[in-house]
Amino acid sequence: MSLSRSQKRGLVGASLLAFVLIMVGTIATYFGSKYQLRIVYGSYVSLMVVLALQVFMGNARITNLSHSAFMGIGAYAAAICVTPIAMKKISLPNAPWGLNAFALDPVTSGIIAIVITAVIALLVGLFIVRLSGIGATIVSLAVLVIVHSLFLYRTDIFKGNQAFFGIPQVFTLTSAIIIAVIMVYIVRGFKESRWGIALRASADDEISAAAMGVNVHRLRLLAWVLSGVLLGVAGIAYSYYLGTISARPFYFNHVFLTLAMLILGGMRTVTGAVLGTFLISFGLEWVRWLETGPTVLGLKFPEVLGLSGVVLGSVIVLIMALRPGGIMGDREIEDFILKK
Amino acid sequence: MEFVAQQTMNALSFGAEYALLALGLAIVFSIMGLVNFAHGEIIAVGGYTMVAMAALSLNNPFIVIGAAILVASIGSVALERVAFRPVRYADPTTGLLTAFGVSIVLQNLFLLLVSPRPIAVTSLYFLEWPISFAGLRISSLQLFETLTTIIVIVVMMLFLKKTVLGLAMRAAAMDFEMVRLTGIRANRVFAAAFLISGLLAGIACVFIMARRGSVDPHLGFDPVLMAFVACVVGGFGSLPGAVIGGFLLGAIEVTMLVLLPQSLGGMTDAFVFGSIALLLIWRPDGILTPPREKGDKQ
Amino acid sequence: MLVIQNLKVFHGPIEAVHGISFTVKEGSCVSLLGPNGAGKTSTISAITGVAKSTGSIKFADEDISVLPVETRIRKGIAVSPEGRRVFANLSVRENLRLGGAYNPNDIDSLIAEWFETFPILGERQHQLAGTLSGGEQQMLAIARALMSEPRILLLDEPSLGLAPKIVTQIFTMIEQLKEKRMTILLVEQNATLALRLSDHAYLLNNGHIVADGTAETLGSNDTLMAELTGLG
Repeated sequence: MSLSRSQKRGLVGASLLAFVLIMVGTIATYFGSKYQLRIVYGSYVSLMVVLALQVFMGNARITNLSHSAFMGIGAYAAAICVTPIAMKKISLPNAPWGLNAFALDPVTSGIIAIVITAVIALLVGLFIVRLSGIGATIVSLAVLVIVHSLFLYRTDIFKGNQAFFGIPQVFTLTSAIIIAVIMVYIVRGFKESRWGIALRASADDEISAAAMGVNVHRLRLLAWVLSGVLLGVAGIAYSYYLGTISARPFYFNHVFLTLAMLILGGMRTVTGAVLGTFLISFGLEWVRWLETGPTVLGLKFPEVLGLSGVVLGSVIVLIMALRPGGIMGDREIEDFILKK
Repeated sequence: MEFVAQQTMNALSFGAEYALLALGLAIVFSIMGLVNFAHGEIIAVGGYTMVAMAALSLNNPFIVIGAAILVASIGSVALERVAFRPVRYADPTTGLLTAFGVSIVLQNLFLLLVSPRPIAVTSLYFLEWPISFAGLRISSLQLFETLTTIIVIVVMMLFLKKTVLGLAMRAAAMDFEMVRLTGIRANRVFAAAFLISGLLAGIACVFIMARRGSVDPHLGFDPVLMAFVACVVGGFGSLPGAVIGGFLLGAIEVTMLVLLPQSLGGMTDAFVFGSIALLLIWRPDGILTPPREKGDKQ
Repeated sequence: MLVIQNLKVFHGPIEAVHGISFTVKEGSCVSLLGPNGAGKTSTISAITGVAKSTGSIKFADEDISVLPVETRIRKGIAVSPEGRRVFANLSVRENLRLGGAYNPNDIDSLIAEWFETFPILGERQHQLAGTLSGGEQQMLAIARALMSEPRILLLDEPSLGLAPKIVTQIFTMIEQLKEKRMTILLVEQNATLALRLSDHAYLLNNGHIVADGTAETLGSNDTLMAELTGLG
């Protein structure tokens, strides 16, 4: 199997990004405090979400706002399967269908969660891919709201806004790094595959692509389900580290945050996804520190709650107005090293 | 029988509010393809204006209401000028994300500059008192809201049919460039759309405040969400669709409130959205198909 | 009245018109002819301001090349664009009202005049413009453009997609306008009809002006005519 030129470049690019991810993760593992470790883990989970977003949005050029919902589905599915029975009896006393009477090992639970997420993604995707750009976005927003209200409603299964606790914490930062690296290869691979190329071509000009025999809907569905699977994995990684989840993080704020990460870096490239995620994850931590009114060099800064929101929102607005392609635009990381 | 009439009144007033909110969203979307998520913050701006009026000891209800509506309208136009003009001719996704960003910025500015805590607004409590006639017990607020919405809809219809600016706005929904080519200034059309949107938000704000009695930074989130869902149901971008969607949403919500047993009382949201999901499966484009998207050759 | 010099028109990064120059004298009818893709519509778009361009565009001795679209139109330029682009969701009457939006004169009597000249528009005045036939839409587009009582009329491909009988009607209408001393810039693929009306014509190909002259000089040039009309 020979690779095309762009596929070879893609391999280089993905490897470069993998290197960066491993480096950052290793430094954090060995030198980071427990608190910093949590932040870095969180950024890797965000990266998984943003990569999943990129694989759909970057190739199909349709904005998806339901991604946090799918992450939630993966997180809850895995959590319900893996949490030990004793724990479940306490936290989900009224669970229907005997959900609190079994517990599976993390691997099986993970697989089940991925399958469930993929199936739901498929069902939803069958609708969404038929709609036009803004129509699909609008329906995806409706999906987000519906899934969230289901999480809130069936507290017998999900516990709503209360913490679903007791999930065995089987993941470490190393696990997250490995998953993130694998995802980078998958996402970059899709971008350079014939499906990714065909999808981007048809995103730019649907009619011509259809005339050339490209089945646009099927391609979109492929990207959508792939995205859903990756989101499920991100959800699992979230559950397996924190040990406690609730419905709150899988809603608007998260959607907006991850979207900002992708847009800042540039939604057309995988490098953009990585760059934007790290910039915002770490940048936001710094702004949050500022918010608390720290004392620096003897100067007491005032408490400015809400600064992080203002900064985040402004980033989005400014990027959209001034540089909609994001920092990376159309360039991937290997463009800096290899000759064009 | 009284029960049905009572619930009908409920459905009408819920629906009226949603229709008002949905119209505000739809009018901007129909012309520029922008899903204005910051619409909720315009409502909050109205609420904070009322707080300001109280702080200035201006408690005359006309002043309070008038100021809220005025500030909401002007604020909406200002928002267009400052935040949305750069992305005016961009694709709908860029606009949507910008609106999201603006919404977050505004919510946090309220948090930062005013207060993260809810602030009471009591000047409008007088609007609500129980009325009984023909064996029905309804709230005066419900009556006002329903009547106001009907008047607003009629006025808007007249505006869109009879005035040149209204005609221009309807034409712009179809072919904005051609409107410019007849010499009508794009700026004026956009400003008018946002002005009307702000006006509608201001009116809705009055009723929301009269019921809630307080304002907080995240006040706008729920209303804009409902407005959004109503638009989706009715067909995004269609003005009649927004109205129908709003009243339908009101009807569904009241039906759920009535049908669900007491034990599941707090779950209406989930059921409402579940019904919406079923509706979307049946008619993904909404009940009334919206006007052709620009550039769509169907 | 309209003086174009070294006009280059861009669609994004692509240069569609490569520096053309021509003049439209007041009261005359000038045609831009040429095959598909020659750059005729791009030129019209540049004059109205819709497309990006460089070069000099002078209207009534005023440089309009830096003005936005609406301001140029208000100087007295009216356009019946390619594809007619009537407002399909508005009635015939509403379309005409928009056309005369900033005309301070009495719109209603103008509309009444047009209904006299074109009874069919009057008959259908409350019908949605989108339900009109192609020929009726073309009439509406021209009438709408003239509602502003402009100083120059830009007509882009009025015969496009219309049956020959209707085309004759439209061109009779244009001829009547000419008799009223309206300045017209006509873009047409139907060279024969256009030349009949024009005082002067320019032939575009691939973004350049390859020939120009009066109807007689061009019309007697058999090779050119053969190219243009595809006959003989």
